[in-house]
Amino acid sequence: MITFSNVSLIYPHSTKTVLEDLNCEIQEGEMVLVMGHTGSGKSSLLRLINGLVPHHTGGILAGDISVDGLSTRALKPGALAHLVGIVGQNPINGFVTDVVEEEIAFGMEALNFPPDVMRKRVEEVLDLLSLNAVRARAISSLSGGEQQRVAIAAALVMHPKVLVLDEPTSALDPIAAEEVLSVLHRLVHDLSVTVIMAEHRLERVIQFVDRIIYIEGNGETSIGSAEEILSKSELVPPIIRLARALNLSEFGTSVREVRRLTADVRGIAVAEIDGATRVHTPAIEVDSLTVKYGDDFALRGVSTSIGKGEIVALMGRNGAGKSSLLETIVGVLKPSSGAVRVYQQDPAELAGKSRRERIGYVPQEPSDLLYHQSVRQECQEADLLAGLASGTTLSFLDKLVPQISHDAHPHDLSEGQRLALVLSIVLSGNPQLLILDEPTRGLDYQAKSLFTRALKEYASTLNYPVLLATHDVELVAELADRVIFLAEGEIVADGSTLDVLLSSPAFAPQVAKIMSPQPWLTVDHVVSALAEKL
Amino acid sequence: MNKPLHPLTMWIWSLILAVGVVVLDNAWVALATVGVAVLFVRARSDGSPWNATFWWSLRFGAFVISVRVLIGILIGIPIPGTVLFTLPILDLPSWMSGIRVGGAVTLERLSSSVHEGIIIATMIALFGAASALTSPHKLLRVLPVFIYEVGVTLVIATSVFPQLTQSVKRIRKAQYMRGMEKVSLRSIALPLLEETLTRSLQLAQSMDSRGYGASRKRSRYRPAPWLARDSWFVFSAVVAASAMVAA
Repeated sequence: MITFSNVSLIYPHSTKTVLEDLNCEIQEGEMVLVMGHTGSGKSSLLRLINGLVPHHTGGILAGDISVDGLSTRALKPGALAHLVGIVGQNPINGFVTDVVEEEIAFGMEALNFPPDVMRKRVEEVLDLLSLNAVRARAISSLSGGEQQRVAIAAALVMHPKVLVLDEPTSALDPIAAEEVLSVLHRLVHDLSVTVIMAEHRLERVIQFVDRIIYIEGNGETSIGSAEEILSKSELVPPIIRLARALNLSEFGTSVREVRRLTADVRGIAVAEIDGATRVHTPAIEVDSLTVKYGDDFALRGVSTSIGKGEIVALMGRNGAGKSSLLETIVGVLKPSSGAVRVYQQDPAELAGKSRRERIGYVPQEPSDLLYHQSVRQECQEADLLAGLASGTTLSFLDKLVPQISHDAHPHDLSEGQRLALVLSIVLSGNPQLLILDEPTRGLDYQAKSLFTRALKEYASTLNYPVLLATHDVELVAELADRVIFLAEGEIVADGSTLDVLLSSPAFAPQVAKIMSPQPWLTVDHVVSALAEKL
Repeated sequence: MNKPLHPLTMWIWSLILAVGVVVLDNAWVALATVGVAVLFVRARSDGSPWNATFWWSLRFGAFVISVRVLIGILIGIPIPGTVLFTLPILDLPSWMSGIRVGGAVTLERLSSSVHEGIIIATMIALFGAASALTSPHKLLRVLPVFIYEVGVTLVIATSVFPQLTQSVKRIRKAQYMRGMEKVSLRSIALPLLEETLTRSLQLAQSMDSRGYGASRKRSRYRPAPWLARDSWFVFSAVVAASAMVAA
């Protein structure tokens, strides 16, 4: 279906080749995953398939890509619209109309399909993606998962032979992600659509894919089955790390397979791990907090308290009230009733320096805080604001990510590096509380483990609390001591990470699913529990 | 009442009234027209992001009036009449003989400046009303394909600008939460510029990959019908405008 022959790609003003001499053939009805570090060129590879690269982005392309016999070299993306459907990283940025139905019909209108064909196809695709209930709604009022499905529907309605998706689940909660992936799985199996996608959260997709293209970052690529690639890759989901840690003879990519391989491990009776009980000295107290936007409740009577040195994960669906809770704790959102105390103080009274020393805040888009010309300047500014000796922030950053270039422009950094930069800047003020809003979108496993280590060190050495909102179950399992689960503005679960994650199958991390009923969430848990035994 | 009009109705309505206002050249009638536009916008707003365009156009109109008046006071041909106050005359080099800065400000000079300002502001308000009540996306669908480039630009401009205010809010909030004391123009403009450019590029890419402009002809999924209501709307504007022209 798709043939890459001797494809090399380099962008202007860049010394690094993105791809070098890529040769591969993707069959009809295959599901292929493109993986690699952040910024390694996954999106470029995807957009080569319908000619967005180089027609839209520039860049020097050698070799040839043909889709169903058509070469993308000669054709513009529009001319391949009937053949390749593409769903971008943020579907909301690619929507052209306001209403679901019109958005779905947009592509067909552009290609001058007769009205009766359009009506029939729109109905079909609405059913296929279970969007019938929202067909007349404004797209902006839909949830993230629904928007993602609208974007897929808009691509599918053209009956493309190839569907290309760039991180289709990165912004979604686990349940919405599963919804989207099961739709893709069905498309491949029932309609023989060829699906090519890039994704960082391998644990979500790995069981569905037939082959993997691994972009190694230096231009090299390797192609093979999931087992082949993952057996030697350094980017691996927990399921493979578990297999490596237990020295299993075979790799499995689905929970079912690995459960079969590890039956004996699960059988070992292990003494219950006692959660280290810490003296709970509250740092943040939230007392029957209610926040209203007009007539809509964002939070209804939420009460909780977060102790010193605790790492708390705030989970829940998109729109459950996570951001509202974070914003009231930071003090930018006025509660309708109830109160928030941060170290016995109303956070709304904080400003400037006292705010920086009290609360460290990392926003959803870390780049919102960056506006200087280089990494060095950003760090100098942070030193100046915090009254630190010049170079303190920079050396902290170097410890966090050693290979960062000090003269690089902040916007040229990879997502992981940018997050590290913002984290160093925020931590330079030595805040007594750290708050992060969905910090790990678009991070690969290495960047995530780096980030996990930095936060753990902050919480344990300084004994300050960390509060983060996230959808990333694996991150929560690795990092958090406690999970607060919000739904419809109310706390529906609040307890140790172990208890909360194990009680809901949708939110259980991969290792827990494999090791159930043993109470282990991460590979480290398994290894340390078994080490005691052996 | 709040069923959508044809995307072109409001634009035609505004255009006809604008012609009437210019031909009649009467500030009171112009103000009345703005009043009617205000009523329409209030009645027909549906909470979409572009509704705010009208209120921005009113503010911009007020700005235009004040600039026009300021220029009218400082520079201009002296119109004889009741002298309100006198400004010192600025000595200009001989080669700028046609221009006078300062001097006597008469009531007549002031009122003619206000008058001109109001006419310009009315134009702005009428087009503000049209764009506030018409979804730019719907407008795009009724425009012919041969203005393809215009279409892409229009969609990008109209969908990125409403998001712009939201982005500014978000960035300011993030910087306030960080405890940045002085939120400068630069500290907002840089992240904003990056985001806006990324967004526009992504939208253009999406339109292109979905075949926009690939075919010379374009079919309609749900044609926007031109109803009797639309005709009445335009008819009322024609009547009002011809009354203005005739007067």
